[in-house]
Amino acid sequence: MPLDTSTYSLGLLRVDGRRWNELRRIHAQIRTQAAADGSSYLEMGHTKVMCVVTGPTEPGPRRGGNVGSAGGAGAASGGQHKDAEVLVNIVIAGFSSVDRKRRGKGDKRTLEMQSTVANALAASLHIHLFPHSQITISLHVLSQDGSLLAALINAATLACVDAGIPMTDYVAACTAGSTSTYAANDESADPLLDLNHQEEQELPGLTVATLGETDRVAVLVCESRVQVSRLEGMLAVGVDGCKQVREILDRVVREKGRKMIQEGTVERGTGLNDMDVD
Amino acid sequence: MPREAEPSLNEREFVLKALQENTRLDGRELDQYRPLELTFGDQYGVADVTLGKTRVLAKASAEVTVPYTDRPLDGIFNIATELSPMTSPAFEVNRPTETEVLISRLLEKTVRRSGALDTESLCLVAGQKCWSIRVDVHVLSHDGNLIDAACFAVVAALRHFRKPDTSMEGGVLTVYTPAEREPVPLSWLHSPFCITWSFFGEEGEIALLDATWLEEQVRVGSCTISLNKHGEICQIAKLGGTPVEAVALLQCTNVALSRAKDFSAFLDRKLAEDAKRRDKGGLLAELSAENDR
Amino acid sequence: MTASTLPEAALGVLPRADGSAKYSHAGYTVTASVNGPIEAQRRDEHPYEAHVDVIVRPAAGVGGTRERHLESILQSSLTQIILVKNFPRSLIQVVLQVEDTPENDYVNTKLVQASLNFAIMPALFQTSVLALLSAGVPMRATAAATAVAVVPEDGAKKIVVDPSPRQIEIAQSVHVLAFTSQEELLLAESEGDFTVKEWDDVYETAQKICCRPASTKEGMEMVLDEEDAGGPDMRHFLRSTLESKVTADLHWK
Repeated sequence: MPLDTSTYSLGLLRVDGRRWNELRRIHAQIRTQAAADGSSYLEMGHTKVMCVVTGPTEPGPRRGGNVGSAGGAGAASGGQHKDAEVLVNIVIAGFSSVDRKRRGKGDKRTLEMQSTVANALAASLHIHLFPHSQITISLHVLSQDGSLLAALINAATLACVDAGIPMTDYVAACTAGSTSTYAANDESADPLLDLNHQEEQELPGLTVATLGETDRVAVLVCESRVQVSRLEGMLAVGVDGCKQVREILDRVVREKGRKMIQEGTVERGTGLNDMDVD
Repeated sequence: MPREAEPSLNEREFVLKALQENTRLDGRELDQYRPLELTFGDQYGVADVTLGKTRVLAKASAEVTVPYTDRPLDGIFNIATELSPMTSPAFEVNRPTETEVLISRLLEKTVRRSGALDTESLCLVAGQKCWSIRVDVHVLSHDGNLIDAACFAVVAALRHFRKPDTSMEGGVLTVYTPAEREPVPLSWLHSPFCITWSFFGEEGEIALLDATWLEEQVRVGSCTISLNKHGEICQIAKLGGTPVEAVALLQCTNVALSRAKDFSAFLDRKLAEDAKRRDKGGLLAELSAENDR
Repeated sequence: MTASTLPEAALGVLPRADGSAKYSHAGYTVTASVNGPIEAQRRDEHPYEAHVDVIVRPAAGVGGTRERHLESILQSSLTQIILVKNFPRSLIQVVLQVEDTPENDYVNTKLVQASLNFAIMPALFQTSVLALLSAGVPMRATAAATAVAVVPEDGAKKIVVDPSPRQIEIAQSVHVLAFTSQEELLLAESEGDFTVKEWDDVYETAQKICCRPASTKEGMEMVLDEEDAGGPDMRHFLRSTLESKVTADLHWK
């Protein structure tokens, strides 16, 4: 079903009633699993993912293949790096999308996402502090409605914060699109922020992840045909969206920190002294 | 399995220091490719691409099969990238490594998902018979920048390829052998090319094109951009790695566009040369086919 | 037409492998890489000798039973000529990549073929021997292989060396024979029906091709004269390829 762009140009509203620069509702929680080293749950609109981080631990026996891992030295050497190895495992639940599609273990799209999340976080985490060890990030996709990769990166960032692994800054991600199709070179086309599933199917779009409040792009994935001239607009909107996402993630972390101090789970001053608790 | 030798600390430092002074070990400019060579085989659809010491062979083949039930009007198009131990003994047969998965995904996104080949034209009888086009990518030698070389080889092989001619008469499908009728080219819509940037330095501020294997081992990140000569991006993949300024990425894309145009012109020239070379043979083959009757 | 062309070979074509060779003859082009001796995997490890691992990769499509069969034949013959006892617990890996096969213009080729293809054996064999030599793997002897078909022609039976795909189609039997440089029979595989007399003829023809005695200058001309009848001289070919490579490499001396 083609996207009804006529409504868009009339009211400048998208199919779900958002304006071009509006994010969907992002709801996130951290420390959702008591037993895990770090965990998070994140919703971006109807895309819902949960994440569990284990580590840094001693590397276990090597798994078959080495897809989705990013270590400092790069090569698979059974955990004998001078940097920690980041392993990512993504499980997409069968019930997560409308058509119940089984994805095998060797699904290349999933493997690619695993490797992307692993490499993106490995660049931000201080992996050089944990030689000969391994950080395992398990991501579970419960529901899909577009911007899946962005949601996975955000959830993984939150879980790593919860696990207390030192990192440079948040890696925040979101998607951006453009209302023009690839063939049309219309200059009036508007960029869009945070695509849902329907928009992702119909319009060209890209996923951006930036580091903290800077303009530095850690991940940039574009899987659709689009004019080069569209890229700048989409990238600008995407980077701006990432900053908004970063704010939201930061708020979630601070909120949880304050709550934990109030509840007395952690004492004031155990590694949280620089956090301003009002 | 044996491990790939990693560059020593000295080698690593040497490459990085040199790059900070805008010098590459082989004396190239930062945005300069190694000499690119392309040779076509005697058969249709065989392209042998050499990029410095990197060598990739792509072979296209066609077969009549049954289309997928969910897409009865489309033909089947596959790109097979399996890295054999010939590339490096670290690769094992039937066990895909991360490199292999990423290359195959990139080629798939660049060539297949961007609609470079018109799959609807491969349909012979809706829901019953269609062409299955398959490109096998064989990496003979790996000295960095496999993706660009492989993508170029795949596009060259497919554009060079000819599939057997067919006809439909009274519901009977006839596939002609090469001796009966000259094979026909595929219906090709646009030619995308991959251009890979490698980033070096603390903040990824040094960007260079066509990294060698040594440079690939010490880089902090990479970004593969696929474009065609019409200025359409088919795919961008910066899958993690050290974050790079957004503005720098935009500049990279613009340089990549001009490289893609160069590649496109180079391929067109090579195809024209090959067509000229075959012209005489083609006429002779036609004559001999007539004599047979 | 292609069968009469002389074989061509190049050594050390791949910069990153321990040894490599490219060989083309009778329409077949094969590139081989040899790595070894390298560490063997646990399941391949042999306490007394090196494991020879042969991988044949077709130009198009995935390898199937046909390639496995060719691999097993090559593996057992190469194990015989390589001094495997010198490298216990290690692995010598030979990867053969088929680049080009002659096409039969009268039949549309199918990707997955279960039928045997003996005609490709000599190319695979010669390439692996050349690549092994290029890698400097110690061998007891060199060896060469050839394919011979018995083709019925005007009621009589004719022996054809390096048959084309069309000749194989009509042939009554196809044979692959390999001889070492000491004129020992290393490999004999046949398919089709044939008499003992025919096999003897095939054996003689193949032996003539694989182990023609090293000839003097005058002899060379004689060899050239009977080229049409006997096909190329494989032993001499292997030797001259290697000689020219060595001269080129030691040019600086």
